[in-house]
Amino acid sequence: MKGQKITSVYIKSKNRKNNVAGYLFLAPTLILFIGFNFIPIILAFALSFTKYNLITTPEFIGLENIMRIFHDSNTLISFHNTFKFLLILVPIHVGLGLILAFLVYKAKRMQFFFRTAIYFPSIVTTASVAIAWGYIFSTDTGVINYFVRLLGGSNIPWLTDQTMVYVTIGLFSFWKFIGTTFLYYFIGLQNIPEGYYEAARIDGSSSLHTFFHITIPLLSPTIFFVMITNIVGVFQIFDEPYLLTAGGPGTATRTVALQIYQTAFKEMNIGYGAAISFLLFLIILVITLIQYAGQNKWVVYDYE
Amino acid sequence: MSKLRKDPLQILLLICLFLLCVLMLAPFLWIISTSLRLPADSFKLPPSFLPTSFHYENYVKVFTSFPFARTIFNSLKVAVIVVVSNIIVSTMAGYAFARISFKGKDIIFLFILAGMMIPTQAKLVPTYIVMAKLGLVGTHASLILPAMISPLNIFFVRQFMMTIPASYEEAAYLDGAGRICIWWQIFIPMSKSVIIMVSLLSFLASWNDFINPLIFLSKEEVMTLPLALKTLSGTMNTGSASVVLAGVAVSLVVPTIVYIVGQKHIIKGVALSGLKS
Repeated sequence: MKGQKITSVYIKSKNRKNNVAGYLFLAPTLILFIGFNFIPIILAFALSFTKYNLITTPEFIGLENIMRIFHDSNTLISFHNTFKFLLILVPIHVGLGLILAFLVYKAKRMQFFFRTAIYFPSIVTTASVAIAWGYIFSTDTGVINYFVRLLGGSNIPWLTDQTMVYVTIGLFSFWKFIGTTFLYYFIGLQNIPEGYYEAARIDGSSSLHTFFHITIPLLSPTIFFVMITNIVGVFQIFDEPYLLTAGGPGTATRTVALQIYQTAFKEMNIGYGAAISFLLFLIILVITLIQYAGQNKWVVYDYE
Repeated sequence: MSKLRKDPLQILLLICLFLLCVLMLAPFLWIISTSLRLPADSFKLPPSFLPTSFHYENYVKVFTSFPFARTIFNSLKVAVIVVVSNIIVSTMAGYAFARISFKGKDIIFLFILAGMMIPTQAKLVPTYIVMAKLGLVGTHASLILPAMISPLNIFFVRQFMMTIPASYEEAAYLDGAGRICIWWQIFIPMSKSVIIMVSLLSFLASWNDFINPLIFLSKEEVMTLPLALKTLSGTMNTGSASVVLAGVAVSLVVPTIVYIVGQKHIIKGVALSGLKS
């Protein structure tokens, strides 16, 4: 009885010591996390209901900002444009990335060179190379149109035509970011046990059949992951349209992130900018929740 | 080679991939070659992909007509502070999550993981308000503070530290070592590989960041490199593109070195973030 009591006091003091130690080690994390992640999101929510320009005190205006999102043509256009980017960029990365990774995986020579050349653009500064691509895409003096003319075509308005700019940003996005997706797929392919392919060979399966019935299903967790990260990424797309087209021509490539930047920091309409920010946060939250729900359902995980 | 000759499909594949890779690298060659041309010849056709002239004075000009060296220093300063703080913060948190059992651990861990899904773009406006209230707009602290912690880094370090055998710290405990001592003298040295990985990823993210400097910094002397280049390309007319491209070329040096040195670790980091879900 006595001994038991002593033990429990010992455990208690040990527990208390652990609690103190745990929170001391977490203190920097918690302070920074609350200060620069948690508070900002709460603040974005709170500011959504106000009229605020950084100088005067925030004025409560109820749901006005939120209603405005659905009536403001510029914000609606920015969502519309972001959806267009989703439809163009997600298939480029999810599809072409897979094909590219598969081809490099199948290459029996120079694999290291291929991997490096494809991956390298992903690690350089987007802003720097986008400036260079701005020159490359320019209509009269650009490198690409020089080759277009050489092949007998006429100048393509890469940066000045409302439809063409989507092709331009698609090309840039492929060049700049395909490396990351490529790497995810390449590693996924390497992780597929050789035994599956041997079994398929023995069964006399054609390579196309093997690709669709073995590679793709076994790669489904990676495909799913790549799809979600790309969707989340495109919802936040800023650097490419800001640097290549400044959201133009007109509002042709003004994305949600650009619209937030424009309203909050150019027009100093903080409350309204916060409302759009919070909506963006909710959208990404929903996609992430779909990811958690979906990964258990329609994805093959075990290799057994 | 004889094996390859019998496989025309494989040869075709290699040729196609080779051409694609040449296209992937061509913009870099064009940037370097054009940065060495006379500014007036920046856009003279045909374009060159191998240097035809060596006007290195463009590189001198980019440093003299703009506080360019200063912006490189700024970028390095911000990135180094971000990396060091990420190492300290993520190893402390990783150690606590991996080794100490305290009240509320699981909930806090989930809470921090949930932080991974808060997009930067959605945080821009409120973060700006926080910085304005702290009087930090226009300073490097506005870039550094939010980047000092990364939920993904904490997750990586915690996963790694969970694999360190308990016997190492038990011996130290018997010698009377405290937790701080164990964290500093055992867990940090043993987690070297994950720390290198986290450092490289944090460094590149900080070095390449554009949107935060764009919002927080407006004076040329405090700008980081990507923002400085954007400002430079905006103020110089297209007749001096080769000077701007010299700046672009300089900005590519650091990521290239980081990639060459840390390739293995960077690829591992990307692979792990792909596997984490």
